Amino acid sequence: MKVRVGVYICSCGTNISDNIEIDQLVQFSSSLENVGYVKLNSLLCSEDGKNYLAEDIIKEKPDRVVIVACTPKEHEKTFRNVLQRAGLNPYLFQMVNIREQVAWVTDDKNKATEKAKSYIRAAVKRVTLHEPLEKKEIDCNPDALVIGAGPAGMEAAHMLAKAGRKVYLVEKNSFIGGRVARYEDVFPKMECASCMLEPKMDEILHDENIELLLNSEIQEVLGFLGNFVVRINKKAGFVDNEKCIGCGACYEQCPVKVKNEFDYNLSDRKAIYVPYTGALPNVPVIDKKTCLRFEGQNTGPQKEAFEAGLITREEYERFKNQDCKLCKEACMFDAINYEDTDEILERNVGGIIAATGFELFDPSVLPQYGYGKIPEVYTSLEFERILAQTGPTGGKLLTKNAKEPESVAIIHCIGSRDKDYKDYCSSVCCLYALKFAHMIEKHSPEVKVYDIYADWCVPGKDNQAFLDSIKEWKNIEFIHTTLPMNVVSKMKGEKIDLHCIDISEKKRKVSADMVVLCPAMIPGKDTAKLSELLLIPQGREGFFAEGHTKLAPVSTNIEGVFIAGCAQGPKDIQNSVAQGAAAAGQALSILVPGRKLELDVMTAEIDEKVCAECMICVGLCPYKAIVIDKEKRVAVVNTVLCKGCGTCVAACPSGSAKSWHFTTEQIFAEIEEVLK
Amino acid sequence: MSDFEPRIVGFLCNWCSYAGADAAGSARKTYPPNVRVIRVMCTGRIDPQFVIKAFQAGADGVMILGCHPGDCHYKEGNYKALRRFHLLRKMLTQFGIEEERFRLDWVSASEADKFVETISDMVQKVKVLGPLKREIAA
Amino acid sequence: MAKPKVAFYWCASCGGCEEAVVDLAENILKVVEAVEFVLWPVAMDFKIKDVEALQDGEIAVSFINGSIRTREQEHIAKLLRKKSGLVVAFGACAHIGGTPGLANFSNREIIFDYVYQKSPSLDNPNKIFPQEKTTVKEGELTLPKFYNTVFTLDQVIDVDYYLPGCAPPPDLIMNAVEAILTGNLPPKGTVLAPDKSLCDTCKRKITKPEKAVIKQFRRVHEVLLDPEKCFLDQGIICLGPATRDGCGERCINANMPCRGCFGSTSRVEDQGAKFLSALASIIDADSEEEIKKITDSIADPAGIFYFYSLPASMLRRKFRTEL
Repeated sequence: MKVRVGVYICSCGTNISDNIEIDQLVQFSSSLENVGYVKLNSLLCSEDGKNYLAEDIIKEKPDRVVIVACTPKEHEKTFRNVLQRAGLNPYLFQMVNIREQVAWVTDDKNKATEKAKSYIRAAVKRVTLHEPLEKKEIDCNPDALVIGAGPAGMEAAHMLAKAGRKVYLVEKNSFIGGRVARYEDVFPKMECASCMLEPKMDEILHDENIELLLNSEIQEVLGFLGNFVVRINKKAGFVDNEKCIGCGACYEQCPVKVKNEFDYNLSDRKAIYVPYTGALPNVPVIDKKTCLRFEGQNTGPQKEAFEAGLITREEYERFKNQDCKLCKEACMFDAINYEDTDEILERNVGGIIAATGFELFDPSVLPQYGYGKIPEVYTSLEFERILAQTGPTGGKLLTKNAKEPESVAIIHCIGSRDKDYKDYCSSVCCLYALKFAHMIEKHSPEVKVYDIYADWCVPGKDNQAFLDSIKEWKNIEFIHTTLPMNVVSKMKGEKIDLHCIDISEKKRKVSADMVVLCPAMIPGKDTAKLSELLLIPQGREGFFAEGHTKLAPVSTNIEGVFIAGCAQGPKDIQNSVAQGAAAAGQALSILVPGRKLELDVMTAEIDEKVCAECMICVGLCPYKAIVIDKEKRVAVVNTVLCKGCGTCVAACPSGSAKSWHFTTEQIFAEIEEVLK
Repeated sequence: MSDFEPRIVGFLCNWCSYAGADAAGSARKTYPPNVRVIRVMCTGRIDPQFVIKAFQAGADGVMILGCHPGDCHYKEGNYKALRRFHLLRKMLTQFGIEEERFRLDWVSASEADKFVETISDMVQKVKVLGPLKREIAA
Repeated sequence: MAKPKVAFYWCASCGGCEEAVVDLAENILKVVEAVEFVLWPVAMDFKIKDVEALQDGEIAVSFINGSIRTREQEHIAKLLRKKSGLVVAFGACAHIGGTPGLANFSNREIIFDYVYQKSPSLDNPNKIFPQEKTTVKEGELTLPKFYNTVFTLDQVIDVDYYLPGCAPPPDLIMNAVEAILTGNLPPKGTVLAPDKSLCDTCKRKITKPEKAVIKQFRRVHEVLLDPEKCFLDQGIICLGPATRDGCGERCINANMPCRGCFGSTSRVEDQGAKFLSALASIIDADSEEEIKKITDSIADPAGIFYFYSLPASMLRRKFRTEL
């Protein structure tokens, strides 16, 4: 059956007809094979033009339509809608650009006309090979999974829950709040961090839509946008969240003493413990590694504690071969269950938000600072704990020997802005350095603070004023150095001498009792593992790669997987919260309850009858849209994820992949006709 | 040779180079009409068979214009195009198709001038090379 | 019932396809019993004039192997077409041009110049070239014209079926013969082998990683070939992914990579170009410099990718070059 093509030529007012012989085009088009009719119009994109087009198509009933006019980038969608209205499949249509790419750029009218003719010939041939494409829809699950219960994750979870979505908030620790739980005050308003977080944490703990999974990690992620299945490894905590009232009787009785990681080993904890006073939820956990009922039976931890002088030899001897039940016996609410086991939970969600935060660059690789060798050299996170009321010193500024320091030095840019280590600026260190100076002054105004900096990074509405106010203070001396890398710490008696060169190239030496380093923020330890599980790439310096630096900061290559907070790049709490909200917004926008997901139409497809599973295509897809069907032993394109770039189709060596609307036959036809 | 008007096929990607060509139009820049543009969504779609088909069907030159590295709308399509381009260009010399007849370049949506320069330069170069001569068959 | 008449003819060929018939071993007796040969130059004494004397269509099937290089070959091919009900292009040369097809990177002038003038082992002081007509005292001698281009069989006559392979494997030949004898044939123009690439049945498929990448190309004499791993993963060029299945991976199982003698699947017009696309796509490099370094390491891409299929490819031959 012959395919009948209707050709509509638009003169675009006089834009096209000024530079091209339109009558020749009409005559030429009529002479082409398959062309049923040719109609001329002066402005097809106008309301009148569009109405005319729709009516004419209904009347003429062509099998295909070619519109010869401006660039498809301007009006292809417009005309596709008209076709849809007129009852013709919108993909049985080809547009010919004779305005932007012919009439407006060719000085010779004859040459322009010839060029236009060859384009029309190509389009008519191509359109006879078009197939009607129908829009596809699939169901989607509107619920979400958030990984990480820091400020970004909590904001995302909260927003989603308020919108009525079920949220699974997965947190690897036994408490929520992320890094901020460790801070006493936050810049620039010097507000109390825990007071600031309280209300949000309260919402998280009590919202019915949020299932909080603590001590949990992601084990496997299957599926795709709207249809993810996530397997979560929830580790045993041994304490029943419902029964526990947070009285602390259990950990009072525990005989074990080990270093507390929450305080960066600056304080001790028990084997059953809460990491800090006020941790939320206020439910302790048993640490299997140190508890005497589990791996703690191995006297390793107890031996360390004994050698560190934390317990007596008598106590140490007592630890061997114990059936210790002290915590359970102390609990009046029967909340402790030694039979608790790890479990694998499975949850179905439509979207995933990764907000897994940061950790600090390890300054021990830079020996000049003395970190790890000189006892009173601290990282900023360690210093946060010293200043915190819930920390090892109850918030008092004290050295490890419980002495009050006379002076504290703060060094910026540790491992930062350096090609050999981390070449970026972590954006918050200058500000928390000022925060530290502020807090030191508050505790003890006589303490001298040396702030060794390279440049000031204080963007935003409030931060410059914060800096300016502190610059006035008498007890702070700012030393401007060009290269923090050159600062050297040397022990001199009980003090630490810091040698540096300031910007006037003068050698400086200051003496301090404590040194605080501001190291670069680097992606959290599990970022690489999560990157593999979620199939999102790690970008610059190992942070999760966003979809686009400017336009898609919280999306990723993988549809339905979003990122937020410091996992995406170093930032302050304000921006983390903003990204958490943005990621939630993205998820809310794409996954609407009751609404189906509309899929791209011009996708790739692999013919399973002929695919030989040669695997060339699988690794080429940037969206991970091609998977191997292990039963059928063929490659399959997931049309939910496919964006239609055609890379796999070009690469397929057996011709088993096809690109809808850009098939090889269609392009061959265009090439052959355009050269005739 | 001054009469020779080369026939060149240009494969342009929807998001960058095709938009760049449109931009040249909006700015009313004139350039030689020898290049016939074929629009694809991404230069990653360009099958070497397309390039060879163009030469088979009578093209004297073929161009591929795509997004600058790092800017591809589909992330990496232009890198795949680049890899195929280099191997194909080398192989085509074995068919008697000089390197200058097959060209790949990056043109963004805002680079109207670069588009015009690239087209003009290609047309000029192929003009100098002359038409691709076909062998007698038997 | 009269036995169906069968012709077996060779054009520009090496004789390997004739050997393939012999490779049928005991099965050849079945064939010989079931058919009546009317032409088989390598084995029987029938003459061309015997074929000319037959009625049109009297030959049930002609198996023609070898590519078309001379006028004589074209002439006989046309003669057999006229006299046959079915014509089967037998073997890679007839199907897609075969290795003789690589001469399409050259032309008659250059070939003759080398063979009859420049070759180092030549003794031709009077620079004698073969001529189509030569007058000697006894009369006129003719030689068939040596074409400038090597053609596939279907570029000179209408072909009904293709038996691919260099040479076609015995089982494929037997299947084809049985299909013809029983009249159980697929649509005209079918290549009588599965229409999937050979990775489908290759034993090494299971070793392929999820993401195929090539960091460096190696040639078979440069490394110790792992007899179990996919060749591409070893950096060895193997045309398997772009080559039709049906050969049982004889070469691969002998620890040599596939060279593509079965031609492409029906969905691909140019085997060499498609293979180039697949191979280049998985090169593990993104900068121009790195990419060029890797692609430059392949000394003869056209020769490898079109080893058997040049005459059947889209360009068929090199563009004009002067001597």
